[in-house]
Amino acid sequence: MKAVLAIARREIDAYFASPLGWVSLSAFLVVTGFMYASILSDFSQQSTTAAFNPYMADQYNLNNWVLPGFFGNWSVILLFIAPAISMRMFSEDMRQRSFELLLSSPVSSGEIVLGKYLGALGFLGLMFGATAHYVLILYWLGTPDPGVLASSYLAVFLLAASFIALGMLASAFTVNQVVAFVTTFGALLVLWVLSWTESILPGTAGTVLSAASMLSHLDQLTKGLLHLEDAAYFAGFIGFFLFATQQRIESMRWR
Amino acid sequence: MIEVEKLTRRFGAHTAIEDVSFKVERGEVVGFLGPNGAGKTTTMRILSGCIGATQGRALIDGMDVLEKPREVKSRVGYLPEVPPLYGNMSVGDFVAFAARIKGVDDAEAAATRAMEQVGLLDVRERIIDHLSKGYRQRVGLAQALVHDPDVLILDEPTSGLDPAQRREIRELLRALAEGERTVILSTHVLGEVEAVCERVIIINEGHIVARDRIDALAARSGAIRLRVARPGDDLPGVLRSVPGVREVEAQPDGSWLVHADDDVREQVARAVVDRGLLELAINQQLEDIYLRLTRGGEA
Repeated sequence: MKAVLAIARREIDAYFASPLGWVSLSAFLVVTGFMYASILSDFSQQSTTAAFNPYMADQYNLNNWVLPGFFGNWSVILLFIAPAISMRMFSEDMRQRSFELLLSSPVSSGEIVLGKYLGALGFLGLMFGATAHYVLILYWLGTPDPGVLASSYLAVFLLAASFIALGMLASAFTVNQVVAFVTTFGALLVLWVLSWTESILPGTAGTVLSAASMLSHLDQLTKGLLHLEDAAYFAGFIGFFLFATQQRIESMRWR
Repeated sequence: MIEVEKLTRRFGAHTAIEDVSFKVERGEVVGFLGPNGAGKTTTMRILSGCIGATQGRALIDGMDVLEKPREVKSRVGYLPEVPPLYGNMSVGDFVAFAARIKGVDDAEAAATRAMEQVGLLDVRERIIDHLSKGYRQRVGLAQALVHDPDVLILDEPTSGLDPAQRREIRELLRALAEGERTVILSTHVLGEVEAVCERVIIINEGHIVARDRIDALAARSGAIRLRVARPGDDLPGVLRSVPGVREVEAQPDGSWLVHADDDVREQVARAVVDRGLLELAINQQLEDIYLRLTRGGEA
């Protein structure tokens, strides 16, 4: 476990030792900040009107309007940011030949994968941590439901963690980071739009494909509802890609 | 101790090494020689556990590299041809990281010891990407040494270095080879092998073509190189008249290569001096043996 943590720690440091980490972090904060500001200003204008309508005033609050819209936007931003985080995970090591240090050290391929993945999640955690001021502002403005807030954060974290797991596998297949980025982005887009198939494809096929889509599992979470099947979907998704990456790394010894 | 038994490794249709077997005893320093593409790196990568073998097995201290990878790898230090470095880390942080993933308890102390051994303490705060090639090679050596391995596998540790840096690394290798440590060193610089190693293994086109002590190999090969001041026209005749000499070749550098069935150094020296020719140097060179073996001959 010490080796896993050492690998994770080095991964986090590597993000901040290169422009990639800073650029991803800045881009994420700038775009989410812009969306946050526009949603809040929109909410503030609308709420003035809503204040005169007793029914609307009851419905129109931070939890129902601001949080779902805001975190819903995050999922789109993460479609771009997550591949940027994952693209270097193995590609960089393979390109600069530092991978041989890991391969010749007494750590298993599973530990290497886990260490790198935890490192990327650590960076993701720091990135999300840097959005704490959005939450503080909400508390200053009103009374957001801490449950909805927590589950919204959990939802986007699970989503990004799934994106990164898929991206890590892509990065284990190529020394070229751009190829890893594009492959991940393309695969994520396909998984994203699978939910549309329910309306196009009638019957079981449409339902199954839609159930495989990320969007269908995200909706409930961003409303503050944590269902077992949604949690299982993300856990299964992440587990599958971690396992596939471990198998890929192991197979490299034999190719 | 290293035991390699009938090791074969194929990459698709290409066979990199075939039926390679050798043994390196504890504390021995062995030179691993061969032309580019002969299979040196493949053999070393198998020994270090980076890749698997298609057939055969490699044992370190009696343990199979593939069956007990963790135990084996904690006993082996490996420096690949391109040192495996994280260029954006500082030297100190990198070596300490290497210590941690190699399971060393006190990583910082181990890193300091390794950096001291290879002369890196002065640059421990520097970023690896900003170092000269010689220093980067030392950082590579430090990561291979940080867990104090019994076996050291070094793949062309002096390639791409200038003569001064090469000399420094060679001095370092000599110091590292002292004691009980087993070292396998591959190189293109034959002088290096002669300076550091007791024994050589020569591999060509994926097969071992010779494995012996350097002096024994030289004695068996029977080729000697002779340098004479004022070599007259009669020198080839004088040399050929020595019993046992088969062939005499003039070399572009002004020396003479004498092929014989036995070690005829003494007789040749006497013949040259008797004719009033001053002899400057007479020796058996690993280079000649190496070139002969890797061009299809046998030792």
